[in-house]
Amino acid sequence: MLEFAPSMTTAATPPGMIDITVDGRAVRVLAGTSVFDAARMNGINIPTLCHLQSQTPVGVCRLCVVDTGARVLSASCVRPVEPGMKVVTNSEKVLSARKTLLELMMSDHPSPCARQQNSGDCELETLAKAAGASPPRFAKRTVARGKDDSSLAIAVDHDACILCDRCIRGCDEIKSNFVLGRMGKGYSAGIAFDLNSPMGDSTCISCGECMVSCPTGALTNKSVVGTAIAVGPDAQGFEAEDLLQIPVFKGVSGTFLELNRGAIVKRRFRKGDVICREGEFGSTAFYILEGKAKVSISTPIAHVKTQGGAKGFFKRLTSTLVAREEDKREEETRDRTIPIDASVDLSYGNPVAELSPGDLFGEMTCMNFYPRSATVIAESDVVAFEMLRNVLDIMLKNKSFRAQLDQTYRRRALENHLRGVPMFADLSPDFIEHLKESVELQRFAPGQSIARQGDPADSFYLVRIGFVKISENYPGGEMVLAYLSRGDYFGEIGLLGGGVRTATCTALDHVELVRISGDDFRQMIERFPSVRKGLEAVAAERHAANQQRMQMVQNVPIEQFLSQGLMEAQSLLILDLENCTRCDACVNACADAHDGITRLVRDGLRFDQYLVATSCRQCRDPLCMVGCPVGSIRRRNSLEVIIEDWCIGCGLCAQNCPYGNINLHPFEVLVDDPERIGRKKAAIKQKATSCDLCTHLKEPSCVYACPHDAAHRVDPKTFFADMLGQGTAK
Amino acid sequence: MARTRTTKKLAQRIDLNYFKRSTPLKRAKFWLSLLLPLLALVWIAWRGFSGDHRVYSSGRMSEAHAILEKGCATCHVQQASAFSAKAADSACLACHDGPIHHASQTKSLECSACHMEHRGRVNIKAASNQSCAGCHADLKAASGRLRFATHIHSFEDGHPQFAALREGASDPGTMKINHAIHMKPIRQGPTGPIVNLECDNCHRPSAAPADLTYADSKYRAAAVSYKESEEFLPAHTETLTPPHPRTGRELMAPVKFANACASCHLLTFDKRFDEGVPHDKPEIVHAFLVKKFREYIAAHASEVRVMREPSRDLTGKPPPPEVRILTPAQWVVERTAEAEELLARKTCKQCHTFVPLEKSSRRKIEISSSQPGATGISSVQPELPDIAPANITLQWMPHAKFDHGAHTGFTCVSCHEKALTSTESSDVLLPGIATCQTCHAPGPDHAESRCFECHTYHDWSKRKEVKPTFTLPALRTGKGGN
Amino acid sequence: MRMDRTHRGWAFASLTILAISTVIYVFYALHSRQGPRGGSTIGLIFGVIGFAFMIFAALLGARKRVPTWRIGRAQDWMRGHLWLGFLALPLILFHGGFHFGGTLTRVLMLLLVITVLSGVFGAALQHYVPRVMTAEVPLETIYDEIDHVRSLLREEADRAVESVCGPVGLAKPSNAEVQRAGGFTALRTMAASAVPLRTSAAVSAGASAAVAAAPEIILLTEEESAPLRRFYLQEIRPFLEHPERHGQHLSDAQNAASAFAGLRTLLPAAAHATLDDLEDICDEARQLQRQSRLHRWLHGWLLLHIPLSLALILLGAIHAVMALRF
Repeated sequence: MLEFAPSMTTAATPPGMIDITVDGRAVRVLAGTSVFDAARMNGINIPTLCHLQSQTPVGVCRLCVVDTGARVLSASCVRPVEPGMKVVTNSEKVLSARKTLLELMMSDHPSPCARQQNSGDCELETLAKAAGASPPRFAKRTVARGKDDSSLAIAVDHDACILCDRCIRGCDEIKSNFVLGRMGKGYSAGIAFDLNSPMGDSTCISCGECMVSCPTGALTNKSVVGTAIAVGPDAQGFEAEDLLQIPVFKGVSGTFLELNRGAIVKRRFRKGDVICREGEFGSTAFYILEGKAKVSISTPIAHVKTQGGAKGFFKRLTSTLVAREEDKREEETRDRTIPIDASVDLSYGNPVAELSPGDLFGEMTCMNFYPRSATVIAESDVVAFEMLRNVLDIMLKNKSFRAQLDQTYRRRALENHLRGVPMFADLSPDFIEHLKESVELQRFAPGQSIARQGDPADSFYLVRIGFVKISENYPGGEMVLAYLSRGDYFGEIGLLGGGVRTATCTALDHVELVRISGDDFRQMIERFPSVRKGLEAVAAERHAANQQRMQMVQNVPIEQFLSQGLMEAQSLLILDLENCTRCDACVNACADAHDGITRLVRDGLRFDQYLVATSCRQCRDPLCMVGCPVGSIRRRNSLEVIIEDWCIGCGLCAQNCPYGNINLHPFEVLVDDPERIGRKKAAIKQKATSCDLCTHLKEPSCVYACPHDAAHRVDPKTFFADMLGQGTAK
Repeated sequence: MARTRTTKKLAQRIDLNYFKRSTPLKRAKFWLSLLLPLLALVWIAWRGFSGDHRVYSSGRMSEAHAILEKGCATCHVQQASAFSAKAADSACLACHDGPIHHASQTKSLECSACHMEHRGRVNIKAASNQSCAGCHADLKAASGRLRFATHIHSFEDGHPQFAALREGASDPGTMKINHAIHMKPIRQGPTGPIVNLECDNCHRPSAAPADLTYADSKYRAAAVSYKESEEFLPAHTETLTPPHPRTGRELMAPVKFANACASCHLLTFDKRFDEGVPHDKPEIVHAFLVKKFREYIAAHASEVRVMREPSRDLTGKPPPPEVRILTPAQWVVERTAEAEELLARKTCKQCHTFVPLEKSSRRKIEISSSQPGATGISSVQPELPDIAPANITLQWMPHAKFDHGAHTGFTCVSCHEKALTSTESSDVLLPGIATCQTCHAPGPDHAESRCFECHTYHDWSKRKEVKPTFTLPALRTGKGGN
Repeated sequence: MRMDRTHRGWAFASLTILAISTVIYVFYALHSRQGPRGGSTIGLIFGVIGFAFMIFAALLGARKRVPTWRIGRAQDWMRGHLWLGFLALPLILFHGGFHFGGTLTRVLMLLLVITVLSGVFGAALQHYVPRVMTAEVPLETIYDEIDHVRSLLREEADRAVESVCGPVGLAKPSNAEVQRAGGFTALRTMAASAVPLRTSAAVSAGASAAVAAAPEIILLTEEESAPLRRFYLQEIRPFLEHPERHGQHLSDAQNAASAFAGLRTLLPAAAHATLDDLEDICDEARQLQRQSRLHRWLHGWLLLHIPLSLALILLGAIHAVMALRF
């Protein structure tokens, strides 16, 4: 027989309910309720970091410790209530424990973290301040866990992370994307996307859940250039709700849209309005909802051609572009289509195409900040979404949207692309159809490697968007063989040859590839021997070129030679300063050969007694080619870099060239007059120019015209060979 | 932030149109290249408009034509409707006559071939040796045979020895004169015991007054009956007359008896008289003798009684009777014959050459017997001697002019050194070409040796007179000619 | 151009021509009736050839105007110009038989002699000066752009000084001036957001450095920076503005070195980097000064050579015509 305390009998506890006292107040709650919740329900606030209402408590931050009268303090968020439990949430002991915890965490936290800087609402820091725990007494951690900038929408700062796991639970429980997880242990423990790949490359769809659930600045919303698009009469902003109504946005995280309000607007264009103009720099992509638009390159397809020296002085001051019929360049017809930043390609002869609802364009501009590659004019009244990078990014990651884009692509452009490859020209339609279905579209983030040298070759790729760097490793280091842009293809060498990748292929920026599986490829080359022949030829050619270039790199050059990047050069214009009388004949010759604009500058660094004049070096690693929005700068088989005539004058190549060898020049051209349709009017177009070795004159004019035997076009390797020999001997 | 120099940085400093900009250097170059040629053009044009063509002159005019310096058009006559305005011979012939050199010469040259104008202030008459050598270096004649050396390039190259001195040539003169003796001191003469003859006691240019130291006034006064043709050889016919008249000092005048010889070489004939016979033809002398003796016997009638003088016996003659009494006529005849024999044998023969008797033309002497008291006795008919003509050569070098006048200051014998040794009158005492060449040789420190120094090209004897066309003021102002 | 062994062929050829013509001349001079004359056949031939050489030499100028015409490599023309142009003189002397004739011909002869001599002089200069320039002016730039570059230097110096002393009250030139007309202006806006260059080559080529880095600011206190400020305003700036002026303390390398050394002792170590830059800048300015001087040597003589030769050709032609006329 046990005896009861008289007080206990005062009120009987209903079944399933439990009575406890929190800070001296009697509280009755359902059994199984956590102490934390119990307190909350009764308006007693227990501070916490790792705990969120919507998520299963894990009790990792321990900030919610309370005194339950047990031997040790316990984390209230995971401590279920027990009958008669006496909970104290703010005793001296508890507070000091919290304080210490906060201090420990603060010492592990870059203060102020990104979030604190932006919005000043980092939960940790607010608490710490409240508890007077900052600055902490403890030394800062030494090991840095680093940042991850790869995602367009979300910035990750592992140092700011307190391992509360809220993001992980958000990703798994709430969104059930199962991207986020934990990795590492000890100091280097942290959150990870997939198998610890950069967020941008991970399967993360940037729904933004993790970001919203993060208590600190570990996961923050990235502010992109022009976070908001100007809203005007023809462009209205959206509330997340309205957006979500639109089928395209099905499955996009509302929270995220919320966060990126203003990064997407709906625009109306009247008939004839210019949606975007080629060569401009933009940061938005367009998605057409209604109406049709005409996309075209207004830059006349014409050479910067010269009529030789027989021109008046004043004539020479102005340069003109001449229709391309006048002189065909060798292998120029290689490209029958001009790649542009849309799901269609423009045919060379008549660079005009039509965009219809469901088409997305301006992707490259938006993602990589390339200049607009073409002009888009509304043909009928057009309604389109204009969106910024981050929005586009989520959209692209949105499965339904993707699927739909892919559809359009397969439907409209894939054939072009396939046909664009010369040797695919005579594939039978049915096979194309087959391919259309069987190929898969792959996206790669900047820096992500597509195939590594030595890997088994299992597929053939066609570049759809972006730039792929093909490089080979040699003892000295990496040797760039080529940059492939839209319309180019690779992987055939591996497939035709030993079945091993001979080179490493890396995405330079946001790359989209059309992947033809090895089986399809084999099937194709069996069915169409012409294709095989063609491919084999190209493969052999490329292989030879690579070999030849590889063995160039064998000897070790002296420092200066290297530092001036002469190693990179295939052909240098050098002036022997002991002969040169600085008469500028070379410059005049160059100008004379190129309509009065010089493509060489008689200034630069010296090497030995030679002035390495500023004129295209035909680099092995032609940086200039990276990022050309219309792929008009490319390399001939003869390895010299030429700028094709549809250059739109964005000047990216000029900027990328490390040696200042490419310059933009104004040219007078005739373009369609917007006022009076059909009429032409003179306009000034910028076009990039670089040394073309005077191919139309057999020999570089500068060299030919040097009266003092000073100017020479040489291959640095052979020309400076002996000097380099000494260099290495030293 | 150490400063870095990279190709791109360097290149981007440069304005890509810099080479179209003009810099001071370029501007200067441009304008100068424009200005200077312009200047030149202006200069030429200005000269052209001012009608002064002297700028084109290829050199200054010769001394003779200095006056024409301005008047280009004087000679450079523009042919009608022709650009060329070369100076033709016609221009020269407007003022000058240039008779031809030889009738037989193969090519007739234009004036400028030898007389080049615009060669500076030179003597345009002085033709170069090459001008002559043009023909004479390889002489051809249009007709007839050549009488001259055919390969003469210049005085020192290919010029033959003077004709008078060549092999086998000798003095054609008949006067017997021994220069060696005359150049030595001579015992007893008219002026003193010892006589030292100077060349110019006998040899003087005709223009110079004769030296009369050894002259005899009586003889100089006396008129002579012999003719010049009997004294001198005739002058050469083909000699080219020089453009200017002779000064009379070029050549030596022939030596005259009266001027040079008479005072030593007395022509006495009989001790009864102290005067000599005149220096004249034998006939004149004969007449003179007869006259003299007649007068004498008339004055001394007693002289007809003649004593025999054994000292004057002549072998092979029958001794005459001791004393003969002659008629005066006989006496005169005898005395005359004696005197004539004396003269002929000694005095005349000393210098003159007699024509051998058989060659000589006999001459009869009529002794006028129209004497009172003359008996009809036929007397001896003597034959008079016949004296050969002197054949003195007046000019030794017919084709060249030599001017003794130009050579005064040299002692005669320094050139004619043979005169000191020559004993034969057949010796030619003319100095050889070598002597001339000691002074007349090419080179600055020598006398002129070009052809024209001695030779003339144009045959001035054939000169035609030219009618003058210019007026002095016209030439002065350069408007001459047209 | 440099007179190296590559000229052997030409030299030999022209010497041969010279020898031959001399022989011909001597023979002809001795045997002509009137002595050597321009008018005689041989004289005329000499004249024509000589004039032809002159014209060819003069054509070099024309050829330079049409550098792209494939009418023989420019350097071959140059060699021809040098040698044949030189030959013109003796040939013309032969033509005139060493007589200078009348006014026109005298003028011509004078022109020819001066032209040829100036040419020889120029050739000599262009033989030596380039080496001097190469040796003494390692930082040379394009002559026409020297002023521009100098203004850039001034700008840079200003910025360097202001990074230490704070504003020194010097007008900043407009941005446009600093930038070049290569059409780069279009790019400046998006330079920041350009495609990142993910390749080693870029670095090795110093491409990264190509985007000029602004000097980081190390401000000194008023009295600390006073010496630098004074020196800059009194010495460096004037020198950078008018390096050609006389009595410039910095125009002499030693002086400059010592001056900067002295300044270093006066300034705190923080400012030494800036000092080094300033010294560099002054040095570059000095070199540019030297370069422009040398450049004037290199090309100044042409001011004499070209105009004279043109006049020569012109008068020569006139002479030819007139000589044929009279």
